[in-house]
Amino acid sequence: MIEIRGVSKAFPGRGGKGGVQALEDVNLTVHDNEFLTVLGPSGCGKTTLLRCLGGLVSWDEGEILIDGRPVTGPGPERAMVFQSIALMPWATVVRNVTFGLELRGVSGSDARARARELIEVVGLAGFESSMPFELSGGMQQRVGLARALAVQPEVLLMDEPFGALDEQTRRLLQEELLQIWEERRTTVVFITHSMEEAVLLGDRVALMSARPGKIEEIVTVPMPRPRSAHLDTVEGSAEFAEVTSRLWGRLREWQVDVGRHRRVAAG
Amino acid sequence: MSSADSQRLATGGGRPRAGRSLVSRALDSKAVLRLLTLAVIAAIWQWYALAIGGLLIPTFDGTVLAFIGLLFDAEFWRAVWVSNQAMLIGFGVTVAFGIPMGLLMGRYRPAEMFTDVYINIMLVTPMAALIPLIIMAIGFGLNARVLLVVLFAIPMVIVNSRAGVREVDPSLIEMAQSFGARERTIWWRILVPGSMPAIMTGLRIGLSRSLTAMVVIELLLIAVGLGGLIINFRGAFEPESLYAVVVFVVLEALLLITIARWLERRLVPWTREGVLAK
Repeated sequence: MIEIRGVSKAFPGRGGKGGVQALEDVNLTVHDNEFLTVLGPSGCGKTTLLRCLGGLVSWDEGEILIDGRPVTGPGPERAMVFQSIALMPWATVVRNVTFGLELRGVSGSDARARARELIEVVGLAGFESSMPFELSGGMQQRVGLARALAVQPEVLLMDEPFGALDEQTRRLLQEELLQIWEERRTTVVFITHSMEEAVLLGDRVALMSARPGKIEEIVTVPMPRPRSAHLDTVEGSAEFAEVTSRLWGRLREWQVDVGRHRRVAAG
Repeated sequence: MSSADSQRLATGGGRPRAGRSLVSRALDSKAVLRLLTLAVIAAIWQWYALAIGGLLIPTFDGTVLAFIGLLFDAEFWRAVWVSNQAMLIGFGVTVAFGIPMGLLMGRYRPAEMFTDVYINIMLVTPMAALIPLIIMAIGFGLNARVLLVVLFAIPMVIVNSRAGVREVDPSLIEMAQSFGARERTIWWRILVPGSMPAIMTGLRIGLSRSLTAMVVIELLLIAVGLGGLIINFRGAFEPESLYAVVVFVVLEALLLITIARWLERRLVPWTREGVLAK
């Protein structure tokens, strides 16, 4: 279980002026094996929240506990998937996937065997010796996912992993991520700015507002699991429409200024 | 197999090309084109030397003969060794110190702050102007020539290595940290391989600057090695031999740079398709 209690973080501005309150009194509990999506507009601090969870940055106030232990840095029970994918361009697919394993003390043939297994899980069998530049964006992110899964994390932290992909690829990867997650349950915290994605994937959606970054509301997604086999039906269901319209209602309240500008521009 | 098929195989499927003239096909070949260019230059050179050039412009064929003569001259090879000794030691020192310095400057702000101004001075100063200072300080020996080679080459190696570290995708560092990597691991697994393309570029430029330094100091003040030979041949009115030495220097530079490029392709093959492919 992940417990985030009263976490605040400010980025100081240059010369002490114009700082940004990235997170303000964030409270959130993520249950074991839960798929929690964090939804918010760009710049609302959701990535900062994930980086705090990953132990990559520190925060000013509050505490984060994972299974009761305070987070002070990266830990073996967590693995991250990045929007920028972050594959080493000089290494083959296998060597990218074994990277995390090697840092966690698994090496040699054990690491390679484990990497091959995960590469197959993410549907890239046959591309083990390819270089990242030979793969499409979607395939690259599959490698990123395999690298994170290879270390068998209890908590998977995903930072807008499909944000840079085109629509079809994104849908395919959503399906496959759900399928993988349904087979090997882990706790997932999934950051996204897409309302549809948040609702399709999540058990619950934590809605964040910007400046200061705050969790405004937590919405439970009622659609039953497993969903991966029929995502289209899920998206067409009455529950999906109800949850998204509720989320949209909240989002619109904060985006009203932006919306007005858009309408002026369009008219 | 039909007869049409076998015919196509026999001609290598080259039907569209068969109609083209021998000349236009030969012009497509890089080697032929280069040889042709060389022949044209040689012809112009020969004509100029015979028709216009005086005592000091040797003919093309005279230069070629002198070049072949040099290759069988022990004295010449001693000069080659004397020059290259300074260049090799100097370039070695440049590699050994320049790369680590550049990498540290790229990663650590204090290292950058203390050294940046000196690197900039080295970049803008015409290094040849320092030759008298160097000679006054450490004499006419091998040390002076090595030092000049280092001064010529090391700014390029430092600046490129520094740029290499800075260009490493920060998300790669973050990724490594998320798996628990410490600074040491980040260096060896991310920063060094990530900087390799830029380091190799720096080495290539540094190498050509080393060659420049090697010849410049010998021509200007310390008349030994190949530079010394050039000066001697000028004094003895032997333009053919003088040109032959210059041709040798050019060929050596070409050879070294070709090796450097080959090494670059071998060591950092991923940049061929990546963003750094230039």
